[in-house]
Amino acid sequence: MSENTAKRVVVTGLGIITAIGESIPTFQKALFNGECGIGPVSLFDTTGFPCEVAAQVKIKDLKEFFGAKGIKRVSRCDLLGLIATQEALLDSDLDREICSKKDIGVVLGGGAGGMLSWEKYRRTSWLKKTKARPSPLLSIAQCTLTDLIASRYRLTGSRATISTACSSSATSIGYGFDLIRSGVHEIVITGGSESLSELTFAGFNALRLMDPEYCRPFDKSRRGLSLGEGAAILILEDYESAEQRGATIYGEVLGYATNSDAFHMTSPDPEAVGMSRVMTKALETANVSIDQVDYINAHGTATKINDQVETKAIKRVFGEKGARALAISSTKSMVGHCLGAAGAIETVATVLALSEQVIPPTIHLENSDPDCDLDYVPNNSRTQEMRIALNNSFAFGGNNTSVVFGRGQAQEREN
Amino acid sequence: MRDIAITGIGVMSPLGVGWEAFWENCRKAKTGIKKITSFDTSSLRSNIAGWVEDFDPSQFMSPGVYRRMSRISRMAVASSVEAVKDSGLILDSIDRERIAVIMGTSYGSSSYVEDFYISLLKYGPRGAQPFLFPETVPNAPASHIAMFHGITGPNTTFCQNEISAENAILYAQNLLIQNQVDVALVGGADELSAILYSCYDAVGALNKIRVENDEPINPKLGDGLILGEGAGILVMERLDFALERNAKIYGIFKSGAITGGITSVGHYEVEGEQMARAMSLAMKEANINPDEIDQIHVSANFSGELDRIECNQLKRIFRKSTKNLSVTPLKYLIGDFGGAGIIRAAAIFLSLYHQLPLPTVSAQTLKGESQRSLEWDLNSTDKIKVALMTTTTFGGGSISLVFTKN
Repeated sequence: MSENTAKRVVVTGLGIITAIGESIPTFQKALFNGECGIGPVSLFDTTGFPCEVAAQVKIKDLKEFFGAKGIKRVSRCDLLGLIATQEALLDSDLDREICSKKDIGVVLGGGAGGMLSWEKYRRTSWLKKTKARPSPLLSIAQCTLTDLIASRYRLTGSRATISTACSSSATSIGYGFDLIRSGVHEIVITGGSESLSELTFAGFNALRLMDPEYCRPFDKSRRGLSLGEGAAILILEDYESAEQRGATIYGEVLGYATNSDAFHMTSPDPEAVGMSRVMTKALETANVSIDQVDYINAHGTATKINDQVETKAIKRVFGEKGARALAISSTKSMVGHCLGAAGAIETVATVLALSEQVIPPTIHLENSDPDCDLDYVPNNSRTQEMRIALNNSFAFGGNNTSVVFGRGQAQEREN
Repeated sequence: MRDIAITGIGVMSPLGVGWEAFWENCRKAKTGIKKITSFDTSSLRSNIAGWVEDFDPSQFMSPGVYRRMSRISRMAVASSVEAVKDSGLILDSIDRERIAVIMGTSYGSSSYVEDFYISLLKYGPRGAQPFLFPETVPNAPASHIAMFHGITGPNTTFCQNEISAENAILYAQNLLIQNQVDVALVGGADELSAILYSCYDAVGALNKIRVENDEPINPKLGDGLILGEGAGILVMERLDFALERNAKIYGIFKSGAITGGITSVGHYEVEGEQMARAMSLAMKEANINPDEIDQIHVSANFSGELDRIECNQLKRIFRKSTKNLSVTPLKYLIGDFGGAGIIRAAAIFLSLYHQLPLPTVSAQTLKGESQRSLEWDLNSTDKIKVALMTTTTFGGGSISLVFTKN
């Protein structure tokens, strides 16, 4: 594709629900205040696990919160996703009529999907040795949310669900970007959703990757990640279409890259080759040079190895001096690791950082680690001028994704 | 340059392990649907599926490599080994960062999800088996392929029910056209497991056929779909790249289109309007008229719901009586699963390359009015230049692809 025919891709709507905020305004406030959403889990019994806590969404009745009490057979994951989608579409000023006419695509990232529903079914049938009610099974596929959104808003465009564990929704934003840039769609709904489940909770515990108290990314005493849940949806739109209808532009997607470590199922390559290459490739596709980047929203899981290797990768890409000049932070310190939704939630944090010109902090960062010696914006947010930011997601299986965002053009003009 | 060459094929299917066995049985319209013997089905309403017999991973990799892999990962890696070998690509001579691995699967390793969760229920919070957990992610097969071949380029997995593999094909096309990569290993894979089969049975989605051992199986439309499993990999390259290295070219992937039908969870789009739109868009992009299409490959799966919609929409698009329209419903022979699209595409490229037709049935058959067993025509045409492949999934998406002889 030649440079001059490629469309520009902007973000015109945001929606979110996490443990620290159930809408963009509440999330933004908590994000910049550095609030922690990690605490007790009520969705299932966590007693006896090495780590018993996670960042659970605090709303008791999600169906009531969504405003559709009658909604049936929808998994918690899908409900979280529908809540974020409703907010994003409203925010972008896209009503059902526009939605049904615009051939809008839905490209989401999914993690464990309706696993929590499946577990309910499976636990009953296993313990009681009888047949359980099979209706929870209808929502077990990763893609039910994608289809639910499309059917609710009558969207006839592309339909795809990417499932690459922790990088799923970051890649979905990349694919949405591709579909607009190449002119397939004017508008694509991207993002992802994840609910806590016994499977992932037990899985990360079994791998001894969880901190029993709370995660502390980049801290010397870090002991692992905290799981989280939530959903984030971004409306991506062709710049011209957004301008034409006078939509609010939060920021611009400039480019992305994905690659594979081809190294190990659960461990990153200690030499950081894949991680550094994916950032370099993303900057190349975005046509951005390293000295233009101001902020990195890190993968920052708080496992011993991730934070060390990610730091090494950032240094490889930006050089020792360049890396020190960057502001880097981990949103996971507040919302936990939301797996399939992590990339989307952190993208919303990145876009809000750019549009508000505030860098969210890494909380619980008290003791510096000689292996993590960059500026991680400890504990307090910082007002700073920013133009370009990078968002990293690195997944199980060595799947890496890096997305580059720019400040919305209109906002730059204002200042 | 939008043309993409297919240069290598790997297939682990209910019709045979390896593309040669698959092709031979496919040509004869032999069925891969048989009684399930790998797990206990005695309490279920159905006991048949399209499953892969005689798959031996040690033919493709060493035991140390596959020891911890789930069945789906083993079949996927085996397909990639066959496909890479078939393509004649010398991986050491190309930049491995310029190769992508893009996969589609409905559920990934459902057996590992089951085993891990049961280990938790049995042994408690501190007894769950850690080595099972990493295999539960749907991207495990794609990651194993990358690790096996040392491929460090883009690596993505799509889960979109029955259009999972087709989604992978479209994403790979995008990477190749944008010149992000030179080569893509594009695949689909699914494993049949006791848990998945019993869940499908529990929601009443399966065909209610129970058979004794070697009894012939005559499924009827509308009884519910028949599950399948298998894996396939196609090696895709930009045509210029394939020509430059003098590769054997099976055929050309011309164009593809995706649309979204509006329906409820677990159901197909009612009228098939978006299915038809995907077909029209794909043909338009390829600059091909309906009367130039020699072979039509449908995703009919015995659900009855989908089969009839496909029949009606084809009648509209091809403006022909369905009696005179021949179609290939390969899922009637291999069963239905998210990765099946790659195996169907592999059959089409083998047909284009060998200039031999795939078995067809009259489109009328998809209406399910006849109670007789399927009548396959093994030599429907000798003009094999342009093929249309349409796939529609429950949940609503449709993808249509146009393939041509090079």
